[in-house]
Amino acid sequence: MVAIEVRGLERSYGDNRAVRDISFEVNEGEVFALLGPNGAGKTTTTEILEGFRSRTAGDVTVLGFDPASGGRAFRERIGIVLQSCGIVETLTVTETIGMYGSYYEHPRPVGELIELVELSEKPNALIRTLSGGQRRRLDLALGLVGDPDLIFLDEPTTGFDPSARRSAWRTIRNLCDLGKTVFLTTHFMDEAQELADRVAVITAGEIVASGTPGDLGGRDVAPATITFVLPAGTPADALPALPDGSWEVDGSRVTLVTGSPVAAAYRLTGWAIDLAVDLEQFAVTPPSLEDIYLRLTGHSEQAAVL
Amino acid sequence: MNRDLQLALRQVRYEQRAFWRNRTAAFFTFLLPVMFLFIFASLNGNDPVKFGGGEVPFVTLFVPGILAYGIVGTTFGNLAINIASLRQDGVLKRIQGSPIPRWVYLVGLIGSACATTVALAVVVLLIGRVGYGVKPPLATAPGLVVMILLGTAALSALGLAICSFIPNRDAAPAVTNAIVLPLSFFSGVWFPVDKAPRAVRVIAECFPLQPLAHGMQYLFLHKVPGPGLTLFDSVRLGAWIVVGVIAAIRFFRWAPRGT
Repeated sequence: MVAIEVRGLERSYGDNRAVRDISFEVNEGEVFALLGPNGAGKTTTTEILEGFRSRTAGDVTVLGFDPASGGRAFRERIGIVLQSCGIVETLTVTETIGMYGSYYEHPRPVGELIELVELSEKPNALIRTLSGGQRRRLDLALGLVGDPDLIFLDEPTTGFDPSARRSAWRTIRNLCDLGKTVFLTTHFMDEAQELADRVAVITAGEIVASGTPGDLGGRDVAPATITFVLPAGTPADALPALPDGSWEVDGSRVTLVTGSPVAAAYRLTGWAIDLAVDLEQFAVTPPSLEDIYLRLTGHSEQAAVL
Repeated sequence: MNRDLQLALRQVRYEQRAFWRNRTAAFFTFLLPVMFLFIFASLNGNDPVKFGGGEVPFVTLFVPGILAYGIVGTTFGNLAINIASLRQDGVLKRIQGSPIPRWVYLVGLIGSACATTVALAVVVLLIGRVGYGVKPPLATAPGLVVMILLGTAALSALGLAICSFIPNRDAAPAVTNAIVLPLSFFSGVWFPVDKAPRAVRVIAECFPLQPLAHGMQYLFLHKVPGPGLTLFDSVRLGAWIVVGVIAAIRFFRWAPRGT
């Protein structure tokens, strides 16, 4: 089943085409991440899907509804976690979750949500006394209070410390285990790598690539990098010859970017064992999602400037 | 429908809790008028002042006057300032993304303003009665209730309308005070304006505070027979309800400016 279907979506503000003819699908039970730099059209696209903004052209179906006219029945089934949404400062955590829960037909129990987002020590604290991270966790609770089938998460872990991020990721993965669909926007490539089943990269209003985090933009066939520290007393020209590519030596640090990392690593390690030398910090690294993302977005940024 | 009504009532309860815990809001909208009542009544005592061609005891005139001023604060001022800040903080945006119908949420906000108004009316009338022997017009009580209702409706609608012209939270109290304070002097809240220049009185009569204050003052002076409604005052408040509702529908914005 398809949770979100977007065909030929366009949104213009005057002469500015913020979103240009984009199409994608998100399947039920999937975590889909929309990646892109600021001003790329991420927020516009997301807010059209959430029903906050109108579109100029194209077809959008979310859980079988047109979000522009879905109304109450549509909003019963979605949960929204936006950075730009505030909370009344003089209610407590329990009151706030209870209040937003009362808007839904089948709210999740308040206590269960407080536990889920790890605010158990703060049930009766006023919102104005919460830290930034605690507020973001309350945001997540408010996004989940209606027990939605589809959750929109706008940069859910911005401002979190590393351990809070890990626990937020656990919470989000738990949602998927319950069969929920998650539409995520993020700046953090490790977050997309960790959570997303599929990602799409949007720049200048257009989707320039989509796929799994593993194969986005040809990541699965892109060259890998081999690095190590040159053993002391070994000259650089003593390194083994290679079928393609060449060693790049910067001080004692050696780097090789190669499309055949297995063969290169075999030659290198064989050579080291023959000479009985150690290769400190030896690593074979596939291209990171971030490398691919920067290549995809940097490229189109240049194109936009030209 | 029944569920939406329950939802609105529950919203009123949440808004009331949030309001009373916000000490600044509670002070300026509730305690300040009560304080003014104490201060002015203690300073001026019950000496007679000239009003409507005769002489009346000052506090008898001041209790309904300060009540009218207080109602402007609990409805117009409170709603304009509260909504400007809810809009700026994105609370309204979160409401839009949830299933609660927008009108139900607004009814919750207005209902909460009405609850504060009722509390203020009770406290002001009690202090007037107990502290200064000002008898509320029991024979024309329905007229007093209708006046308060008309004023609350008109000023709530105007609060919803004006908040769209307030750029941000910080400007909100300045905007509402700039409107309300001068009008309160022209409208005879603090002292009778019988001797004021005609132009000042005419300007005041064009705004809703004057008919609200004047209508209630006449009731307290037991000058209105029957149900207790002064026609000219009620008609003007009714007209302001129409203007306020139309302006609120025309101008109310959920999103901050520039989005």
